[in-house]
Amino acid sequence: MPSLEDELRSALKRREPSPDFADRVLARVAAAPARRGSQPWMRWVAGMAAALLLAAGGLEYRQYEGERAKDQVLLAVKIAGSKLNKAQKKVQMISHRSDS
Amino acid sequence: MKAAGLLTALLLLLAGAVPAQQVKWNYEKLAARASNTVDVSLSGSLLQFATKFLSDSDKDEAKVKKLVGGLKGIYVKSFEFKTPGEYSAADVESFRTPLRSPDWERIVGVHSSEDGETVDVYLRNEAKGGIGGLAIIATEPKEVTLVNIVGSIDLESLSDLGGHFGIPEGLEVEKKK
Repeated sequence: MPSLEDELRSALKRREPSPDFADRVLARVAAAPARRGSQPWMRWVAGMAAALLLAAGGLEYRQYEGERAKDQVLLAVKIAGSKLNKAQKKVQMISHRSDS
Repeated sequence: MKAAGLLTALLLLLAGAVPAQQVKWNYEKLAARASNTVDVSLSGSLLQFATKFLSDSDKDEAKVKKLVGGLKGIYVKSFEFKTPGEYSAADVESFRTPLRSPDWERIVGVHSSEDGETVDVYLRNEAKGGIGGLAIIATEPKEVTLVNIVGSIDLESLSDLGGHFGIPEGLEVEKKK
């Protein structure tokens, strides 16, 4: 009665492939139907979608930059105006004092 | 020879980086000591880009749009300190130095010993006549503000806008951090 070890050795024994094995594999590969590539219109749609996404992103960024710049302008005018306003008020106050 | 030419070109390029009418203030020392800083730096193209986003239907924004429409630059630096005495009179004097050239004229100088506030307003005279720019140096015990506007500006409208934007006239501007 063969031991388990003998059975394993027999099962895992190296066996050479038949001489026509490589030819049969190559013939099968050649006979297999060519894989269908994506349709040209699909590639066109994907390209357009990517371009639209990029354009939308660009517009969004431009809007963000514009709003940020606008806030900066408002802040700058606010600060400059308030300082000028303060100087004007002080001058008015001093001239009012000297008049009375 | 080549190196000298390259150096000249580089110097010309660096000189061109700061518009001729922009005041060259060195505020690095002050900025390092400040607890809060407001820094607005809008050159001509960015300023024109920003004006496109100012609304014509909003009354104040429409006024600002008209005011800044022809300007070449707006530069505002405001430094707030935790305690009084964190900047010196020499620091402020260094900001007045570039404005001592014949191109600039001080039109208002308010120095109040009561509240320790000063406001100096300078105008840049154009060779052809008219206003070519505005500079303001305003100090409070815990604040220094520098304003430089390049281009012709309507002072009355600017001062008028200073009392707007929901800020009661005579009150201080709330600082953005």
